[in-house]
Amino acid sequence: MPLASTTTLALYLLLLLPILSSATLEEEFHEELLVKPLPDRKVLAHFHFLTEAPVADDSFARHHHLFPKSISQLVKKFHIKAMELSFTQGRWNYERWGGLDPISSQNAKPPGVELWAVFDVPQHQVDASWKNLTHSLSGLFCASINFLESSSSYSAPKWASQSALGSLRYGTLPREAVCTENLTPWLKLLPCRDKAGLSALMDRPSVYRSFYHSQRLHLTASTAPADGLDSGIILEQTLTVVLQPNIQKAGLSFPDEFKIQPSWSLSSIFGRKVNGRCVLAKSSNVYLHVERDLVAQLEKLQKNTDAYADNDGGTDVLRGNLGFEISIKPDRVHRELEKSSSILYEYSIKEYNDTEQFDLGLTWKYPVVWSCPLAPLYASRFLIGSGNERGSIAISLKSTELTKGFVVANNVEEKYGKPQSVTDFVERMSVSPSEDKVSTGMMELILRFPCDIKSAILNIEFDKGFLHIDEYPPDANQGFDIPSAIISFPDFHAGLQFSDDSISKSPVMSKLQEKSPVLLYTEVLLVPLTTPDFSMPYNVITITCTVFALYFGSLLNVLQRRVAEEERLLKANKAPFHRQVLNKLYSRFRGGSSESTQPKQQSSSFITPTLIIKIIFVAGFAVVCQFYLK
Amino acid sequence: MAEISDSPPESENTQTQITDSISEFDSKTMRKTKPGAKRLTMTLTVLISFILLSPLLLKSIEIYRAPLPFDEIDSFSSKIESNRLLFPCLFQAIFVGFNFSLSNYEVGEGIRSKMSERDSRCGCSYDYPVTVVLDLADDYVQAERDDLYAEVNAVDFGGKLRGNDEEADEMVKRLVDMYGGEKVYSVVVVNGEEEVKAVVGKYRHAWILGKVSEEDAVVRVAEIFSKVFVNGGSEDGLIHNEFMPVGADGRIVLSFSLLNADPRDWIYDWDFGEIDETLLQPVIEALQPIADVTVESQVLYHTPKASFSYWDDEHGSHIFTTRDLPFFVNSNEWHLDTSVAAGGRSKVLQLVVYIPSAKECPLQLELPNGDLSKTNGFISPMWGGVVVWNPQSCIKDVESKDLVRHMISPQDLLKLFEVLMGQIRQLLGLKSDDLYVGESGTSTLLGSERGFTEWELDFLSRKHFCFNLLSCATTLKSLSKLVQSLPRMIIKDEIGKQVTFSLEAAKSAQNNATVGMYDASAVSSRQSRTLAEDAFFHPSIMSISYYSFEHCFAIYSPFFLPVIMHVLLAALREWKRYKQENRKYLAWKAKA
Repeated sequence: MPLASTTTLALYLLLLLPILSSATLEEEFHEELLVKPLPDRKVLAHFHFLTEAPVADDSFARHHHLFPKSISQLVKKFHIKAMELSFTQGRWNYERWGGLDPISSQNAKPPGVELWAVFDVPQHQVDASWKNLTHSLSGLFCASINFLESSSSYSAPKWASQSALGSLRYGTLPREAVCTENLTPWLKLLPCRDKAGLSALMDRPSVYRSFYHSQRLHLTASTAPADGLDSGIILEQTLTVVLQPNIQKAGLSFPDEFKIQPSWSLSSIFGRKVNGRCVLAKSSNVYLHVERDLVAQLEKLQKNTDAYADNDGGTDVLRGNLGFEISIKPDRVHRELEKSSSILYEYSIKEYNDTEQFDLGLTWKYPVVWSCPLAPLYASRFLIGSGNERGSIAISLKSTELTKGFVVANNVEEKYGKPQSVTDFVERMSVSPSEDKVSTGMMELILRFPCDIKSAILNIEFDKGFLHIDEYPPDANQGFDIPSAIISFPDFHAGLQFSDDSISKSPVMSKLQEKSPVLLYTEVLLVPLTTPDFSMPYNVITITCTVFALYFGSLLNVLQRRVAEEERLLKANKAPFHRQVLNKLYSRFRGGSSESTQPKQQSSSFITPTLIIKIIFVAGFAVVCQFYLK
Repeated sequence: MAEISDSPPESENTQTQITDSISEFDSKTMRKTKPGAKRLTMTLTVLISFILLSPLLLKSIEIYRAPLPFDEIDSFSSKIESNRLLFPCLFQAIFVGFNFSLSNYEVGEGIRSKMSERDSRCGCSYDYPVTVVLDLADDYVQAERDDLYAEVNAVDFGGKLRGNDEEADEMVKRLVDMYGGEKVYSVVVVNGEEEVKAVVGKYRHAWILGKVSEEDAVVRVAEIFSKVFVNGGSEDGLIHNEFMPVGADGRIVLSFSLLNADPRDWIYDWDFGEIDETLLQPVIEALQPIADVTVESQVLYHTPKASFSYWDDEHGSHIFTTRDLPFFVNSNEWHLDTSVAAGGRSKVLQLVVYIPSAKECPLQLELPNGDLSKTNGFISPMWGGVVVWNPQSCIKDVESKDLVRHMISPQDLLKLFEVLMGQIRQLLGLKSDDLYVGESGTSTLLGSERGFTEWELDFLSRKHFCFNLLSCATTLKSLSKLVQSLPRMIIKDEIGKQVTFSLEAAKSAQNNATVGMYDASAVSSRQSRTLAEDAFFHPSIMSISYYSFEHCFAIYSPFFLPVIMHVLLAALREWKRYKQENRKYLAWKAKA
């Protein structure tokens, strides 16, 4: 089954296990929202909910105050060390929405369902735990995650996580449709659900109208306090939405109307306002993230304006506010440490309530063009070849403009001046070929490219096999999905450094500051495979049986036939009229055609003219039938 | 071809006519040679071999079905349905300070005749005599001088029993242990001058004090035996199968939820871990033979009730009436959740503590008679129970920046748990209050710190034993019906094993019951039910893709239908012809 298989290509695949180092003695809940304007006139909204619970006492998984009962019972029952489940609709646009920042490297997920889990059980029990987990999760989230149960739909990556060697399982369902029935159980895990707080913003039509949305559930459990980490269970729930704000014709009109970014507010993109916080949340903040390049562009713009109208520009807030206007004054402004820094505006929504609603708005004053930080390489995957016999998957890696700068700046790449052969790039390779009904095919590669690489293409050829009739999905003619390949850049880290130390307790801030490796997902491929006519086995049975029956019947007839007697009877008895006519016709036929097929008769004694005549007659009859029946 | 009647040519025919050796030979009706049987034997051989080989074919396409003991199942279920599942119960009555004119045996018979036997399928059998001890004084005089015996004379003993019920309970236990075995239900009646007081203790005994006549004493003793000890003090001791809150795998999950209707008004939390350890663990241990009980708890927020309530000036609180109860549980917002940990067929009992929001704050349940409910809660059989708990002052918290979690005080929590415990008892089919009002007077029921007294546990064991066996019998019966109605369903060995084990467990449960071993019979009856359910819900039975007869027919008919036609026709034709030719030959022979 080489095709319906996961071809997971990894440039040193490494899944991240973030561990927040904060001692938790009580169950805690945080809710946060990060909003970020994107270069292509869209807005990214990233909801981040964090629930923590201590595991120290043995009453864990039995008595809960804030932490969802079902999740902790899952953790306890299946001994989960870490788990991530994501439901995604749409594709993250790495070129426009960035690939190097923490949001994209952690929240850009392949379409459909992606699940990985690390278990804290002996090696031989991992598969059983995985199977049970998929069933439980599919019940919990109203999704067909249970299809990941069969061993040919998940894989066990080797190099993804060195610590979880052997106990990691990974599976994706690219075709899973994600909708509100998956969001509702996800919201049920939050103490306030969508009744209060930031989650009240999640207007279903707006969320599902979006260009990209990904709901994620990340679970980290450290049950043994001895391993140096704090014993606790952390449930991180994020919802990342890319929305197109409705274009508001603001007062300022520029000749180049298209260039200006659309102004937006929370109520215009979600259709709702924040009616106050979830009272159970320890912190509930909204952040507005202005990217590095945008800040740089705005600064440039300001210099230009300064040139002919020198005004009092100079303070941080004013400089940030130059190109756009924010409707509410931020409670705090965080700046990144480096010289070209991004700005993070922080709003606490504790003071807001039903009468005084929070509605953050952003109005652009000038048209600005900027770009997001891109991943070192841009990857795309496509199919080559046609026909139903073989094909190949190609992964093209193109360097982005930023790569060079980054590579030089970070100085991580080795000095491969001129590659002698292909093997120079491949550091390690592990291929586990697929086995029918047993396992998927998986390929892991660690590649090292020189700095001045322009593009690289990996080509993987495969043969299309025939599947067992049971293995075809219900809609077999649609083809088979090949899940996304994961590309990880271990030497690149997405992470922002903010100066203020006191804010490190905020989960979103610590997520942004965390040094996480850059991850990239390629497209999902759809491979058409020969689908048999599923009634074929029966047809074969029928035709074989008919042939046998014909043979048997005629043999029996021949055995009991009395040739001499029949002839005598024919002579003796005067046949009835119709019989005579038929005989006459038959003899005429025979006589007429025997002349034309004389040479053939000589050539082979087996093919008699009678037979040929019969065949021609039957064929002609069939043709006529076919013609008239149409 | 020899057997073809070689009718001689025309010329010969004329010759024969001339020779007139055979004057009238007609080739149409006669023949001279014996008809050959070569073709006939061939076709018949083919036909017979087909017939002989067909069992082989059927055998080869047979599907595997583990042999199920259908007869045993039938006899078991009919036995369960026709017989009554009774435990032997021993009763003893001890009378102190009475002057019966009758003998012990006669008094015992009198009590027995008064014990109204109900026509129930389960419970106790009254076939055993009631032991009666009348002249306690004589007995103890003859006995050795023991401390206890010294206590027992009518006046002193009566006086001592008047005191603390708990102490009296222990004292009566010591007395009763002297006379009867451990599993004997006893009533001690002490004659005195004061007003009548009847108490049912924590163990398997009760005592009646005060001025009672002999006849009254007999009636009261009989009532305590038959109504309290045998039927658990509930009015209908009859079993309600649908109201047995034990999962098919013999487990109960007690899921406690604290619902904060609106956390913006106030947030309450509880220290459930401690309650679990101190209050619930003894209960779980006590219920061990009946069911495996697990406990879990959670706190939920933003969970308004679904029914309406109105302000009532008279009571000074918001009122919801018993009519609103069906709508009280808000299944949209109360995501109580079934337990992931106890998967399968366990029964989850939801025990909900509802804290109203500020705008409906003192929330009280009004009974149909206009009074307020003391417990402020209600149960829903098989689902669980709800208790409304009102915070002390219904004043909304000042909007504070930080989260304030009030803890429910331990005293309140204790009160709350008394109500919840009563609800659990009611869900299991016991009385929740401590009074039994019978026809001949009221009795106080002493409570146990374990939640369930010994005689109550006996009653529960009997009930569960009966229910388990009945449900096991019906399950097995339906399984055997199903299996017999689908002849082409694959039945795995595992199912056969489960069925036999289930029958064995049921048998051992019945054996234990006849001996009077309550715990053992409850455990093995639970096992038998679990196994029967496992067999019935086995995944291989649930799958619908079994190899049906239609399927089999569709595969083999394209070959066998035409071939059998050929063979049959050929055999028929040959047989006909043989008969015809033979007749010809016989005709010729007769002529000749």
